[in-house]
Amino acid sequence: MSDVQPTAPKGPIGRFLALPPDSTPKTIFVAVALCLFCSMIVSVAAVSLRPVQEANSLVDKRKNILEVAGVYEPGMNVNDAFGAFEQRILEVSTGEFSDAISVEGFDDIQSANDPELSRELTNDIAGIGRQPNFVTAYLLRDEAGELDKVVLPLWGYGLWSTLYGFVAIEEDGNEIFGLQFYDHGETPGLGAEVDNPNWKSQWKGKKLYNEEGELRIAVQKGTPQADMIDHQIDALAGATLTSVGVDNLVKFWMGEQGYEPFLARLQQGGL
Amino acid sequence: MAQTTRDLLVDPMVDNNPITLQVLGICSALAVTSSLTVSAVMALAVTLVTGFSGFFISCIRNQIPSSIRIIVQMVIIASLVILVDQVLKAFAYEISKTLSVFVGLIITNCIVMGRAEAFAMKNPPVASFMDGIGNGLGYSLILLMVGFVRELFGAGTLFGVTILPSVNNGGWYVPNGMLLLPPSAFFVIGLIIWAFRAWKPEQVEKREYKIQEAEAH
Amino acid sequence: MGARSFFDRLEPHFTNGGKYEKYFPLYEMVESFVYTPKTVTKAAPHARSFIDMKRIMIYVVVATIPCIMMAFYNTGFQANAAMAATGFEPSGWRAAVLSALGIGFNPDNVFANMAHGFMYFLPIYVVTLVAGGVCEVIFSVIRGHEVNEGFLVTSMLYVLILPATTPLWQVALGIIFGVVIGKEVFGGTGKNFLNPALVGRAFLYFAYPAQMSGDTVWVAVDGYSGATALAISASDGYQTLAANGMTWWDSFLGFVPGSMGETSTLAALIGVAFLMITKIANWRLVAGCLLGMIAFSGLLNIIGSDTNPMFAMPWYWHLVIGGYAFGLAFMVVEPVSASHTNMGRWIYGALIGFMVVMIRVINPAFPEGMMLAILFANIFAPLIDHFVVQANIKRRAKRYV
Repeated sequence: MSDVQPTAPKGPIGRFLALPPDSTPKTIFVAVALCLFCSMIVSVAAVSLRPVQEANSLVDKRKNILEVAGVYEPGMNVNDAFGAFEQRILEVSTGEFSDAISVEGFDDIQSANDPELSRELTNDIAGIGRQPNFVTAYLLRDEAGELDKVVLPLWGYGLWSTLYGFVAIEEDGNEIFGLQFYDHGETPGLGAEVDNPNWKSQWKGKKLYNEEGELRIAVQKGTPQADMIDHQIDALAGATLTSVGVDNLVKFWMGEQGYEPFLARLQQGGL
Repeated sequence: MAQTTRDLLVDPMVDNNPITLQVLGICSALAVTSSLTVSAVMALAVTLVTGFSGFFISCIRNQIPSSIRIIVQMVIIASLVILVDQVLKAFAYEISKTLSVFVGLIITNCIVMGRAEAFAMKNPPVASFMDGIGNGLGYSLILLMVGFVRELFGAGTLFGVTILPSVNNGGWYVPNGMLLLPPSAFFVIGLIIWAFRAWKPEQVEKREYKIQEAEAH
Repeated sequence: MGARSFFDRLEPHFTNGGKYEKYFPLYEMVESFVYTPKTVTKAAPHARSFIDMKRIMIYVVVATIPCIMMAFYNTGFQANAAMAATGFEPSGWRAAVLSALGIGFNPDNVFANMAHGFMYFLPIYVVTLVAGGVCEVIFSVIRGHEVNEGFLVTSMLYVLILPATTPLWQVALGIIFGVVIGKEVFGGTGKNFLNPALVGRAFLYFAYPAQMSGDTVWVAVDGYSGATALAISASDGYQTLAANGMTWWDSFLGFVPGSMGETSTLAALIGVAFLMITKIANWRLVAGCLLGMIAFSGLLNIIGSDTNPMFAMPWYWHLVIGGYAFGLAFMVVEPVSASHTNMGRWIYGALIGFMVVMIRVINPAFPEGMMLAILFANIFAPLIDHFVVQANIKRRAKRYV
């Protein structure tokens, strides 16, 4: 430093602070100090808030399950109400419950990416690529302890995005109680009308299979034929491809690649 | 540059509005304005980030080496944005789901960077804070106006409360689906700018060139 | 010359210093509609030409006459045929008028079809003229420019590309949006870089898709579902069109469901032939658009696809279905929003031809692509011109260095 100040600062710290901001040591010092400080703040916030956030995300998922099973009321304590459900891991291909995997921390959608827990689809009408071997089933029992409804996850590709949802099926394994999606990116006002309560209410009471046990549920436009009245959901106006996507994903998950073995057990009362 | 606190707060509302005059921060204004609730939360988040980033940057403005000043500003802004994002996820989960990636993108919002570089680097902390809040409020004003128009005419609701009952729910109003799509905010913002400049003609930019009038011989 | 002296007597009130100076555009509109426009070039060079803005615009309106006739006939024919097929009992004012006049709803009777179609066309056209005209006049009075015949063209084209069932308030909203956002904010006729009729149509398409697309809007009978040829091709392939009662000739002549004026390829081709003979339409635009469409659809035919039946559609089907021919005849050749250089016109036309096939075939969301393709190319037109001019400058500079 050639331009020594009249009152030269004393000590190494004093000399350092008096360096002009653009000098290399000062620049490095500011960069390092700032990064340390900011990363500390951010990580403290992230770590301390994580439990709350995870609880939120869980509550959100549970709320959707409650909604589709028709037991959600605004303002209720979601976690308490969710206690009525029994969670079981379901092996999709056999339709049997499995205790090999713990329910805690099991994620249906993430397990679809795990080669150990999923299989590649060849006849992939729902457009999901891989299907998990195990999913979580939520069983709702009535006061007498009898099985009332089963809530199962399902997802598939619409027009722009994958639609993630749940379906609630009555204890007879045939009648739908409700179906709704909790996450999708369809066109607002058109495909996103899958969230419209009026449209969703059509699912209630529809039958998956006809008397001969054939899968008949369909999302179609127009007035249903006589043999389809119990099985047809009116497609969304102006959203043909989203409707086709929903049609495909429901047919996929309710068909033999999906929950048909499990639902067959339900129909025979064999749970 | 003797600006009073009042000037700092009020000026960016109309006379020097960051969106309508400087045309900054448009991307987020397109993305989050399809409903008023989300617009309001986004507006609040941007206002807080602009205010506090101005304050902190101004506090250390004399120590920031000019060679890395943009990075330093970014680090401070980014930390604040992550804080906001984490807090939203913890305490307003529903809204943070709708805002999704756009909270993170406040980092790249030109208004925040612009105020940090243009004002906070040269002014004391409190003034910088006020300036940030003022600009954030200017942004909020436009965001809420756009959100109001888009939600009311696009879905027939305000803050999720039905105002115009839509035909899908048995009412009479046919919602304008285009307003639910992000590009419609271009039209709405364009019309707002038009209205502002009709009201305050001094905001109209000078022509870059003038068409030559042919002279009569 | 009674009318002339009437105008001469009125004129001083509207010119500078007159009582109604502000409303000069209104006077000018009526006067130039009846006589020739007053504006002449004031400075050299004085090019003499028989052509002026009024003549251009009137020629375009004349060129749409075959399409208008087909719009009357086909709208009525589709409605009457659907009624005959379903036994639907017509009601409302149209039915009252038609029965009062003893015309009836026989789909084999050309006059009955024309009359029925006319009664769908007329309300939409009147609403368009009134709503759009009011905006146009407000802007011309405030901004001090003239109302010109361009609006007649815009309103006619706009009506012809709407489905017959469009609710009238939507018709009004669409034309207001088209006139204001598509034209007036940029300075009026001659400065619009987008086609205002298409802007209005696009607005309605995105704002009210339920009334602008789908299967139930094309035939003017309540609840009757008649898919367009494009919708059927997109889901089942063009080979199934014949099974749905649409032969290539039906499509070419225009006896298929669709927007009012755009079903008939023949009528559109007559229109564009007239425009090219009178040199209103530049043939390079038309040729470029045809070449782009034929080349790209041919390429897609060769590539082929197992899952997307639209890949297999040959060019002569692309030509006759949807709005391609109508758009080619009246929108692509629109001089203001197209490219202005000759080379640019080839590129501009080809870009539209390419984009329309691209959107129809590859984009799953939009079965029809002509409207979007033209608007897209409108935006690129100035850029294309810029590069053509720059290339020309470079080439000449190289020659003389």
